[in-house]
Amino acid sequence: MALFPSAEWISLYRDLINGSEEYREAGKTWEGDIAFVFEAEPDHGVPDDLVAWLDLRHGVCHGARMIEEGDGAAYEIRAPYSRWREVVLGDLDPVKGMMQGKLKVRGDLPNIVRHVRAANELVHLTTLVPTEFMGNR
Amino acid sequence: MRAAVYRDVGRIEIGEVPDPTIEDPADAIVRVHLSAICGSDLHFFHGKAPLEPGETIGHEAVGVVEAMGPGVKRFAPGDRVVISFVIACGACWFCRNGQSQLCDDFRNLGAGIFGGNLGGAQAELVRVPVADVNLLRVPDDVDEERALFVGDILTTGVYAAGIAGIRTGDTVAVVGAGPVGFFAVQAARAAGAGQVLALDLEPERLTLAEGVGAIAIDVSEHNAQTAVDEHTGGRGADVVIDAVGSAPAFERAVDVVRRGGTVVIVGMYTSETIQAQVGVWWTRAITVRFAGICPVHAWWERAMEAVRSREIDPAPIVSHQLTLDEVALGYELFDTHRATKVLLRP
Repeated sequence: MALFPSAEWISLYRDLINGSEEYREAGKTWEGDIAFVFEAEPDHGVPDDLVAWLDLRHGVCHGARMIEEGDGAAYEIRAPYSRWREVVLGDLDPVKGMMQGKLKVRGDLPNIVRHVRAANELVHLTTLVPTEFMGNR
Repeated sequence: MRAAVYRDVGRIEIGEVPDPTIEDPADAIVRVHLSAICGSDLHFFHGKAPLEPGETIGHEAVGVVEAMGPGVKRFAPGDRVVISFVIACGACWFCRNGQSQLCDDFRNLGAGIFGGNLGGAQAELVRVPVADVNLLRVPDDVDEERALFVGDILTTGVYAAGIAGIRTGDTVAVVGAGPVGFFAVQAARAAGAGQVLALDLEPERLTLAEGVGAIAIDVSEHNAQTAVDEHTGGRGADVVIDAVGSAPAFERAVDVVRRGGTVVIVGMYTSETIQAQVGVWWTRAITVRFAGICPVHAWWERAMEAVRSREIDPAPIVSHQLTLDEVALGYELFDTHRATKVLLRP
């Protein structure tokens, strides 16, 4: 089990992305790194913001790691930690979440929406990582 | 007379200045019984807005009419009055249509060149132009401590709740539990809100908000979005009132409102910028209402009635009652957040 998110979790996730034919096809026109910001929920065991970074280009994940700040990435998607957990558990559709403001996007949102298949596959792949969640909920 | 005088950035002291005089037939001179230090006075205190050394400051005051020009019809010497912090002409299209904050001749007391070079109200006497418009009589059964804030922050809170379209049972989130937020909480409850959530970082402010019926959410301990979701079945607040005036507060307000909900921006903005996915706001069908400065004249009679009927209680917000001579201490206490509201008695 890998703690979500962590260097170990991100590494397992990257390997799943690069092993996915579905993602390679759906994401072949995608360019741009993404910072995923997991906002702190101190009362639920997530004391600080956490940021995971994926360098996704042409259907391949070229880099994946935990970083300090997401400001430099082409895209930033931000939400409270518990909301990300809903995404990973399949309880929240990420594109719908972005359109409803539950996941806040900085960057070209229409481009994300155009790559909805890629986004859905990315979410599907998260469910394949043996995941342990932070906090007390 | 004695008055609070701006000396330099971070330095406001008691000083001697000439007594104000009737300059226009519509003027009144008010003998100030009580004034207060307002958050907007701190813009001048910090030098973010210009005052010249020697100029006087302050705009929240209550007192009695001391003298008046021949054009003043509604008041007589000795009348107890509260002063509007917006000094409006009362005659232009905006004033006649309930938007005196957009008055063609908008002025403020104690705001130097920005306010039309009117004297300040943290003084023994203050000249109030167009007195028939800019003074409100204080009912006999309302004491001055409770009437004082009707000229500014209390009515601003009433205005924020009033334009939000609150329906009975709504959840209202107030971002920022400072003085305006404190009154917005009470006004929202009076407007029928089922629950009012007060979001702030400062425990003292949250305690005050809790004391007037809010559910306190310390955003240093709780993620604001998650906390509001927990109180609304994951839906978000029906109405959010931003009573701060900063980019993070604005974003927080938009984050915690439900789809189809209303955000009222009553906190003061100057040069802030934000990045927004307008399409997301459109899809969420949210209403963002910029309140601007409060048009006090259109709202202060109902605000005074809310005070008189004790629907709104100003007393808890006052942490310090000082003499006017102690004004320098008052600014220091207020600026360093050791005071929630400072009253000055000449």
